[in-house]
Amino acid sequence: MSHAEQASEVSEQHGLTVRQYLMIGAALTVITIIELAVSYSDLGSAMVPILLALSAVKFVVVVAYFMHLRFDSALFTRMFVGSFLLALAILVALVSLFWADSHTLPLK
Amino acid sequence: MAHATAGHAPAHHRTNTGTDNRKLLMWFFLGSECLFFGSLIATYLIFKGDSVVGPFPHDHAGEKGILDIPVTSTSTFVLLMSSVTMVLAVYGAQHGLQKMMKLSLLATILLGITFLGFQTYEFRTFGHEGLNLGTNIFGATFFVMTGFHGTHVGVGVIYLSSLLLASFRRSGLGPEAGFHVETAGLYWHFVDIVWIVIFTVVYLIPT
Amino acid sequence: MATVAGTLARPANVGVWSWITTVDHKRIGVLYGITAFTFLLWGGIQALLIRTQLAVPNGTVIDAERFNQLFTMHALTMIFLAVMPLGAAFFNFLTPLMIGARDVAFPRLNALSYWVYLGGGLILTSSFFWDAPSAGWFNYVPLSGQTYTSDLGIDFYVVGLLTLGTSSLMAALNFTVTIINMRAPGLTMMRLPVFVWMTLIISFLLVLALPPLTVGLIQLLFDRNFDTHFFVPEAGGDPILWQHLFWVFGHPEVYILILPAMGIVSEVLPVFARKPLFGYPAVVFAGVAIAFLGWAVWSHHMFTTGMGTVPRTVFATNTMIIAVPTGIKIFNWIGTLYGGSIRFTTAMLFSIAFIVTFTIGGISGVMHASPPIDGQHQDSYFVVAHIHYVLFGGAVMGIFSGIYFWFPKMTGRFLSEGLGKLHFWLMFIGMNMTFFPMHFLGLAGMPRRIYTYDQGLDWGFWNMFATIGSYVIGISIIVFVINFFRSMRQPKTAPNNPWDAATLEWATTSPPPEHDFDVVPTVRARDPLWYDRDHGIEAPEPTGEHIHMPPPSYYPILMASGVALLGIGVLSHLALTALGAVVIIYSIWGWALEPTD
Ligand SMILES: [Cu+2]
Repeated sequence: MSHAEQASEVSEQHGLTVRQYLMIGAALTVITIIELAVSYSDLGSAMVPILLALSAVKFVVVVAYFMHLRFDSALFTRMFVGSFLLALAILVALVSLFWADSHTLPLK
Repeated sequence: MAHATAGHAPAHHRTNTGTDNRKLLMWFFLGSECLFFGSLIATYLIFKGDSVVGPFPHDHAGEKGILDIPVTSTSTFVLLMSSVTMVLAVYGAQHGLQKMMKLSLLATILLGITFLGFQTYEFRTFGHEGLNLGTNIFGATFFVMTGFHGTHVGVGVIYLSSLLLASFRRSGLGPEAGFHVETAGLYWHFVDIVWIVIFTVVYLIPT
Repeated sequence: MATVAGTLARPANVGVWSWITTVDHKRIGVLYGITAFTFLLWGGIQALLIRTQLAVPNGTVIDAERFNQLFTMHALTMIFLAVMPLGAAFFNFLTPLMIGARDVAFPRLNALSYWVYLGGGLILTSSFFWDAPSAGWFNYVPLSGQTYTSDLGIDFYVVGLLTLGTSSLMAALNFTVTIINMRAPGLTMMRLPVFVWMTLIISFLLVLALPPLTVGLIQLLFDRNFDTHFFVPEAGGDPILWQHLFWVFGHPEVYILILPAMGIVSEVLPVFARKPLFGYPAVVFAGVAIAFLGWAVWSHHMFTTGMGTVPRTVFATNTMIIAVPTGIKIFNWIGTLYGGSIRFTTAMLFSIAFIVTFTIGGISGVMHASPPIDGQHQDSYFVVAHIHYVLFGGAVMGIFSGIYFWFPKMTGRFLSEGLGKLHFWLMFIGMNMTFFPMHFLGLAGMPRRIYTYDQGLDWGFWNMFATIGSYVIGISIIVFVINFFRSMRQPKTAPNNPWDAATLEWATTSPPPEHDFDVVPTVRARDPLWYDRDHGIEAPEPTGEHIHMPPPSYYPILMASGVALLGIGVLSHLALTALGAVVIIYSIWGWALEPTD
């Protein structure tokens, strides 16, 4: 069927092989195990940044490879990453506004 | 839903940007969802540590935390694996491998249901241990945030099950099968990355 | 599994059924317009009741309880049920025509947006039969909490806004995709009509601003009905969170209300000044800048909550910076008029009035961008004056300009210019009589939302003056309604391009055929019809090829009734919510399997 052929041609340009997908899945599992190890360890103030960085790596890998954003139109990247950054900015702003009240951020 | 087609001929043949209308809609919808979960997570962080009475999420003043990290790590792993099977379903659909697509879809659905089972178990256990919506601010923020995530997983299960059912028709998923499964996959993976964030913020980072 | 439903037989495009199942963007635009105008009348009646009560000291027309409901519902009706959907009416009707498309990217989704809007509007309005919301349109906790408002009113508010938000989200996603992907050949982004640009910008704002409100509404719903304490400080919550989530949405919302009007004015002024818009790129980028900066100013609604010096300074500065792109737009409109050969049609008068009154409202806006001054203005009639100068003097004036301008395109008929000018002058004078004195009242200390005031406070004169002004506005609306019905009885005489305008919608017949254009136009310049006229380019001949249009569908209204049931269930019995979910799933299946060829 010509449609199916077309579709497979397109996806072969932008997609990974089954093996590569499985490798990525394994890598994500390993990162999750590292995260767990970190959360049970005693790393003090370095712990939170490390955990956030690790989950950010997982986030980016899933979006870039499983969701094909790396191989797809740049328009999708702009729409999604733009929205994500806005959400992050609002989250940071809101949390700082409230933590300034109950914690010691120098906003007063 | 996104797999509903627009009224016109195959949309990607004549759009200005060369992108498919439906996929563009799905991506921007997921952008909107970023703001939705962003607001829920912000609420959780704002009230983190503000509970007046227990149970508390993590170990607190000699009292044991209510979160069961090993159990939730398992369910996190389940959801992560569902993303792998999802991507295999997309691969199968795009390469015309019907059997691979159907089996992977089925696996994804079952893993999704397993995740929901874990969540139900967790909610019920918390209930038995005296943590409800009204108990303290942790209960409120936790149940509403993870509850809405669970709802998204549930919607995803219905979405994928519909595709799986439809794939058994004589015409299958039609000439655009790869496209439909890929769009559903975008939604599914997004629900997974939301959990990646929630897992870190709620479970891994202590008070 | 749902059986494959056959394509609905294509009816002769008449009768109620053809409207219920329509997926034609023009008809959906008309439905939006008529529904929203009806709500505008209803919101106006509420306003007149409010003004009647306040005309004299110690008024006794309505009691305090009813008064609270009226000012709350007046704002909700005007913002969510009238002005936003009137903007939607224009962008539904016009966007595909202006970009040379035959419909929007998702015609059935478009119909769904309308029916969900209708459902949400009816739910919210029906609250008058039980308890109407009465805690103001921004519905602050703890007043809106179970302790102080235990009746159903606030739940109606929550369910109504969640439903309306769903409708707006779907419409905004649809129009974003339509504008990005469905433009005619040659129509680059920097050749888009400014109105389409503004539609794109508000679509972005809606998609991104609605979720925080949704989350706030869900939390309020849970606090009221499911025992949570998000907004209860004794239990570790914080009422200020509601204010933040509301205004993270609320400030972009004011641009969602005003930008369509700015787009309309940017289309009307060049046509009746007979010269291209002055500084097109500046107008577009100013619109983008306003939308972008609009995300970083929301706390200017909360200066009196004690945020601390640094946040106050940041939010005040950002707010004042927004005056710059806004000023750029105003100067570009004036630059468009300068040296033009101006025709003072009714549409043009409304557009010019928009510039004047919107500027007044903008200036008072910059005033309370300053925290110390805001502390004085807060909750006084000065703020009421400001908001009505931008929303009535701005948005509503712009919308009427658009109605007079595009009426021939939408109906094939002209509105009477004589009655139109009467309408304009009555409305312009009435609105200034009503709202300008509110500046004085506010500075004299009159708080907003009081249901009556004492004799000795000396507020009587300007209140009476404002009430008379509001009746003048009411009369102007009656003149418009008469004008509308009179012209609907005239024959369709409008040519394709009666005003000698430059944008693509004027290249097709008035009203346009179902498929919009016989031949998809090719765009060669920013003002395509003027370019073609000046270069002697003839419109292409129709080739007579079959033009495929999407068939009508009843799934949109079916699914919308499911969405409405979800909400009604929350208000009454949860079984209805479950039924709603079933209806939605069934509709989605039918929808997905419905043939569209
Ligand atoms: Cu504002």
